[in-house]
Amino acid sequence: MITRCRPLLGTFVEITVPVGQEAAADRSFAAVEHVHRAMSFHEGGSDLARLRAATPGEAIEVDAETVRVLRLALDLFRATDGLFDVTTGRQLVRAGFLPRAGIARLAAFPGTSADIEVVDDHHIRLARRVLIDLGGIAKGHAVDRAIEALTDAGVAEGLVNAGGDLRVFGDRDWPVALRDADDVVRHAVQARNCAMASSANLMNRRRFRGQEQSPHIGRGGRPVLTTGRVSVVAPRCILADAMTKVAMADPELAGQVMATYGGYLLASPSNGNCH
Amino acid sequence: MSHRNWSHLAAIPVLAVVSAPAWAADYLSVEQAQHALIPQAQSFVAVPVTLNPAQLTQIRRLSGTPQRTSQPRIWRALSGNATLGWVIVDEVIGKHEFITYATAISPDGHVLGVEILSYRETKGGQVRDPRWRDRFRGKALTDPFLLNQDIPNISGATLSCRNITDGVKRLLALHSVALAHAG
Repeated sequence: MITRCRPLLGTFVEITVPVGQEAAADRSFAAVEHVHRAMSFHEGGSDLARLRAATPGEAIEVDAETVRVLRLALDLFRATDGLFDVTTGRQLVRAGFLPRAGIARLAAFPGTSADIEVVDDHHIRLARRVLIDLGGIAKGHAVDRAIEALTDAGVAEGLVNAGGDLRVFGDRDWPVALRDADDVVRHAVQARNCAMASSANLMNRRRFRGQEQSPHIGRGGRPVLTTGRVSVVAPRCILADAMTKVAMADPELAGQVMATYGGYLLASPSNGNCH
Repeated sequence: MSHRNWSHLAAIPVLAVVSAPAWAADYLSVEQAQHALIPQAQSFVAVPVTLNPAQLTQIRRLSGTPQRTSQPRIWRALSGNATLGWVIVDEVIGKHEFITYATAISPDGHVLGVEILSYRETKGGQVRDPRWRDRFRGKALTDPFLLNQDIPNISGATLSCRNITDGVKRLLALHSVALAHAG
């Protein structure tokens, strides 16, 4: 096996393939780069930048993958009674977790996920101006696309890991270590033909107006502040990635929703983690 | 939260607390990275460059990041006599990791690609929060390298590649200051 690593999606993306399949790894990275370009919050030419600039009511043409990601994001928004929400960008910019990205007035973006309408496979319409951030779901989607690129190229087994959101395939077990919220690795699991994502925010806090902030927004717009780590196992990485955000705030709900998608929360022997 | 066993996933029993692992991953050698970044090049010729203080200042001004070494590791990618681009091998220190990466830059100053060569997480396993330290005190460290050697794949909170992004910006400035007119 060989592993290559590139800085993409704001993190380190590793792709592991059998020796001799380097060309397939290149194609797999290209799939991640495509997601990076389309769904970056920061980059001016991304779909998210164009949706920020969109006039309410106008159908905006975006990449078909952006539509796919937003479709699932809206399904999860409804399934979690609004807890999974890709429109927390305003709060994240304000607290400093996302860059200002040239946005003059955050108050100009009052919309929520309820204001996002999928018109067709290539168009999105916004009822109000919305600050969309796909940071909680696009990495998982990118991992799935990277895996598809490998299987399409006839690769028999492999692993794609985008900063801790990973998926493995092939007729073998892949050992995966779990990094706890304090950055320490205490446990490992064997994964086979599945995706896994983990979230924590103990080491990723900021202060804003005297209040401690995290990049995970819970009920009532309150930041989720937990010392724990959650890990979600799912058939697809987009689900695992997205549902860690729900699991951070409400593990019970996340478990119920994951059951409908064929996934589950991985209980961590070390916790007490999830409050 | 209930614990369900799933046929696809089984917990590996008891891996002890790893208190100070030196996570390390080597992805590519310099030579492999050169060919991965500019595959059509026939040769890579080392270019000795010594940046003078004025150039170092200018790189910092252009990129916002200090260029620490005045002797960067640079190769010219050649096809016959034609310069296809440049490969620069550089290092950044992240939050607590030491990363070597290679950036390929076209003759007109565009990024052709970035590959991570190696990754050293020198203090990644340290428990920095005393509350956590107390909680796990007394759990013996049986084999500190077991996880490192056997389990390169980690699921956990995302590590930012911000320092690489800043580094690439700095190398673009270096290119414009020292290489763009080198032909």
